[in-house]
Amino acid sequence: MTSPLIYVESCPVCGDGLCRIRICVTNQRLTGLVLCDECETMWTDPSMQERIAPSSSETEPKCPTCNQSLWGDQSHWASIGEVCLLGWFDRVRIAKV
Amino acid sequence: MVSRKRTDTAINTLRMIPTKWAIVLVALLIGYVLLQPRLNQWLGWNLPSVASLVGDEKPTTKKEPKPTKEVVSKEKASEKVTGNVTENTSDKKTSDKKSEIAQASTTKTANRTNDPVPKDSAPKDSRPKDAAEDKIHGILKDLGRNRFESPEGLVYGPGSEEGHRLKHIERHLEDQPSRPGPHGVFDGDMKAFLVAIDRAFAMANKGAKGSSKKEDDGAVVYEATFEKPIGFLGGTDGKRRKNPALKKMRVVVRGKSVITAFPVQ
Ligand SMILES: [Zn+2]
Ligand SMILES: [Zn+2]
Repeated sequence: MTSPLIYVESCPVCGDGLCRIRICVTNQRLTGLVLCDECETMWTDPSMQERIAPSSSETEPKCPTCNQSLWGDQSHWASIGEVCLLGWFDRVRIAKV
Repeated sequence: MVSRKRTDTAINTLRMIPTKWAIVLVALLIGYVLLQPRLNQWLGWNLPSVASLVGDEKPTTKKEPKPTKEVVSKEKASEKVTGNVTENTSDKKTSDKKSEIAQASTTKTANRTNDPVPKDSAPKDSRPKDAAEDKIHGILKDLGRNRFESPEGLVYGPGSEEGHRLKHIERHLEDQPSRPGPHGVFDGDMKAFLVAIDRAFAMANKGAKGSSKKEDDGAVVYEATFEKPIGFLGGTDGKRRKNPALKKMRVVVRGKSVITAFPVQ
């Protein structure tokens, strides 16, 4: 059983990562953003026009809503349902890996 | 002379007993002659041969098991051979390659002088201690709090989806053929990878030929070109292009912390 890998495109910053949809859920509030799974560059949405600047001292990407690590337990890669919920389904690609 | 006398005595003794018993005794004797060496071999007994009984030969001594030390060293030797064979004949670029390299010995490493960086065994754990040098992967200094420093001052610490940067870069020791886009794969083990990352970082800092250093929103992307291939292009892009060899290394650093590193085109 393979899980779908949802991504926008290959990362323009590092060239090797995939810009994927990351979800953070805190206090029943869902935040979606685009995160490179290799260099951890962040964008606000799949248009990838606006970067989320990391704090220079941070080596972990932080959620812009709750400021918790995007590698924390409250965060995960988006499912197809969550991508639909964010209204981003037509802006992502889905690969079987 | 003595044995001949004994043989004559045995024949004389046989003459004194009835013929049918003599036949039985001769049959038993022949049976013993045939079975004695086999019984000794199969069952580990130490039955004397007929020749030794009549004084022509000394009884064989039971073979002692070889000392444990020697057995162990032989096992080690066979492991080395296996490592060499797998390394030298292997042209595989899949996950099982990693485990083969992990089994390979340091001896084998020395044979591959063409490699840009030395190779030795790659432990499965991302942070094994090198007992001799008390260093992680033989080169990283333990800074405490799960942070490790390379000779060039790069720091590998907690972070990434895998929980630790060392685990994260380990992804680039094997191909992910179904991963969309490019996936740079380093052709070597973890220690060799860390050494190559350090070299790329140093070369880019010195402005060596084929190197670059670019700032990007707090991160610095270092790139350096090696003289020989250090890996190959994997992922779906690599698969489509028949996994071309890669000579360039890219290292993404934030502060002194390595975010990621991998071979690139
Ligand atoms: Zn990236
Ligand atoms: Zn959050």
